[in-house]
Amino acid sequence: MRKKNTARAAAIAVLFLAFVTIFADLLASPLPVLCNYHQQLWVLPNVSHPKELDGLSCDDIQKAGHVYITPVTCHGPLDEAPAEALLPPMAPGHMLGTDAVGRDVFARTVHGTRTTLSFAVLSTFVFVMVGLFLGAFTGFFGGALDAITTRAVETMSSFPTLVLAIGVQAMVPRPTVSTLFLAIVLSRWAEVTKLTRAEVRLAKSSDFALAARALGATPLRVLLNHVFPNARTAAIVSATFGLGSVMLAEASLTFLRAGHDNSVASWGEMLSEVRDYPTAWWMLVFPGALLIMAVLSFNVLGEALRDALDPRTRSDKNTP
Amino acid sequence: MFAYAIRRVLWAIPTLFGISLVVFMLTTLIEVPPPADLGKVDPENVLSEEDRARARFVDLPRFFNTQPLDIHGRTDEILFHLVADDAQRDVAAARLARLGGAALPFIMPQIDAMPAAAKSRVAVALAPVAVRMGQGDAVALRDPATAPIFWTRYWDEHSTDFTEPSVRRTVDRLLVRDSAQRETELSQVDTFALATVIEAMPRVKDQAALRRLMSVAARASGRGIVPDEGAPAAAFVRAEEDWRSWWFIHRSDYVAYDGATKVAASVTDTRYGRWMLGAVTSQLGLSTRDGVPINEKLIARAPVTFALTFIAMLASYLVAIPIGVLSAWRRGKAVDATFALLLLLVYSIPVFVLAQALSGLFARDNLLGLAVPILTLTAGGAAALSRHQRGSMVEVLSLDYVRTARAKGVSTFRVLVVHALRNAIVSTTTLAGLQFPLMLGSTFVVEEVFGIQGLGWETLRAIETHDAAWLVAVVLFSAVMTMLMLIASDLATSILDPRARDTALHSGDL
Repeated sequence: MRKKNTARAAAIAVLFLAFVTIFADLLASPLPVLCNYHQQLWVLPNVSHPKELDGLSCDDIQKAGHVYITPVTCHGPLDEAPAEALLPPMAPGHMLGTDAVGRDVFARTVHGTRTTLSFAVLSTFVFVMVGLFLGAFTGFFGGALDAITTRAVETMSSFPTLVLAIGVQAMVPRPTVSTLFLAIVLSRWAEVTKLTRAEVRLAKSSDFALAARALGATPLRVLLNHVFPNARTAAIVSATFGLGSVMLAEASLTFLRAGHDNSVASWGEMLSEVRDYPTAWWMLVFPGALLIMAVLSFNVLGEALRDALDPRTRSDKNTP
Repeated sequence: MFAYAIRRVLWAIPTLFGISLVVFMLTTLIEVPPPADLGKVDPENVLSEEDRARARFVDLPRFFNTQPLDIHGRTDEILFHLVADDAQRDVAAARLARLGGAALPFIMPQIDAMPAAAKSRVAVALAPVAVRMGQGDAVALRDPATAPIFWTRYWDEHSTDFTEPSVRRTVDRLLVRDSAQRETELSQVDTFALATVIEAMPRVKDQAALRRLMSVAARASGRGIVPDEGAPAAAFVRAEEDWRSWWFIHRSDYVAYDGATKVAASVTDTRYGRWMLGAVTSQLGLSTRDGVPINEKLIARAPVTFALTFIAMLASYLVAIPIGVLSAWRRGKAVDATFALLLLLVYSIPVFVLAQALSGLFARDNLLGLAVPILTLTAGGAAALSRHQRGSMVEVLSLDYVRTARAKGVSTFRVLVVHALRNAIVSTTTLAGLQFPLMLGSTFVVEEVFGIQGLGWETLRAIETHDAAWLVAVVLFSAVMTMLMLIASDLATSILDPRARDTALHSGDL
């Protein structure tokens, strides 16, 4: 019962992060949600970013028209205001304070959530897909491709994820989010491939797969309808854990300033600023707490999913 | 057991090859400047640009070289441009001046057959070579009318000096009895002596003779370090390393390939081949950040990082095993629940957040300064390991033999530690291989936060200065170390748990 509650709390935390990701523009944006500017009504300019309102702030629009609804904070994640640098939380207009160049910490945390979560979802999706496909195919059919893939997996698992990603990011002429994406996918696909391959090989030699084969099902049908559903579970669980670890890797790399450029807000970058201003605890606490919450939730969810989907590895099976 | 060990180690060979390929592909990510327009720019600029490219072997094809260039090929190419008098003439002349004496045996037999104008162009282009050799008169050498005559006459008299045995004899004599006379003799064959001189350097113990060899090489090649007389031994080591790495890149400028070496060169004279040879012979080049050989830096930094990693791993085992045993014994009770929650929390705290928070709380200059980084690393490792230890312990505690032991009246402590833990600890111990790469990554982060000058700290400085040589070396080094740890952990498993070994042997994975 207790485990169920923990998993439920984790699911709520993940939903909360997803909510922040989707509605980041309503929570923090330089533009209002609904306004009247030069006799024209603008609906959701904070989402569509129209050219006419480019570079304006809520105050500018208020002067030349009327702002009906503002976002929670009327600051963008990249708006610098040197006059308001390093304000502590609860300062007027900046509920979580500002950083060294006067960017609003709340806006940066909200948009950092969007960057980190969407990055993690996308890259996890890609490397899990690559791993599933390669692992299922090579594990089922074997042969030369299998041998080559096994060696490639062995090779890639010899690289510490963080070190390889640092290497890629440092070698490319201009590190961006997409090179970071490639670095993460490159260093993570091997794990899922190995896992799926092992599961597929196990299911392939089981009686039900042999029976299906004996009944005249084509190998491809056996793979897709009989073997693959059994191997899928492991990949789903590994993807859930993967989401947490990709977020962690992204944050670590941006913290080390080997991540992407500063064109997007990210938690790791905010956390790295604390190194230069050790007294600005609010830049450590807010993104740090969210990061811990995110990683914790994905870990709890991963475990809950494993217990629910795969009775063989139930972690509390011997609990009285 | 031996069959397994040998197979496991042999399977490391393709993995090593794979690692080298991946790291090599990383090096090709580095931006390569587009080749300069050979006709218009100052020849010296073209050559120095080319040197920078050649230091990374980007002038060579990636994996297979259909036409490996040696001194012979290079000379023919230069002569072609000089005879044709085309746009690349000036660059070709500058190149010829660099190749120097080593090119003479390939030029002289051809020069008589050339038309007079081409002949004098070649002869004038060779003028700097004669100046280096200390031959002839500088003005006459640059005069298109007299230069060809000088060179024909010079070759008639000196062609016998340009043979490998003759140079070798001179070098041997120089090593036996150091004299200025021999140095002059070597200077007279210019770059032709380079191969013998540089390849003799590692054998030479005497500093005066080494200095003489280096100054011969420096005069002929127009570059390089010659330490002062009485300089410390470290300066000589540095200079020798510098010569060795320069020769590694430029050898094909001064040496002719014969049949077998030409075939070998089609594989070794490629970007991958050169890079791989360099890595194997630990010629990882010089750091572009501060000019220190990468080798020296690795030797200085690696012990710090590995000491930190291993101490933290040991500490996390020491913490994790008791916690795991305790939670497994009291499973379902308050202690277990508390530990489970606490460990899950610690497990989810990113190492850099923990490091940053702890580095703010504790001063760095006392004994705590060293303990805090290790504590940071231990926390994460211990959390993962104790969760695993609990799992395997729970499994073992439910086995029949444990119940039998209890029924016989064995004390709880003895059942837990002597009977159950001995079996439950195997899978945790062998996790070390998988734990190592994670711990190594964490160590990089911790070093940066606490300012510990290990591999990670050095790597981040290298990122700031785009020090590609160091980055390549560190990625390669940590991959090889991780691979060795994985092998070690597989071998440990096979000793501790023979069932796992048999499964691996019969599953066809090995």
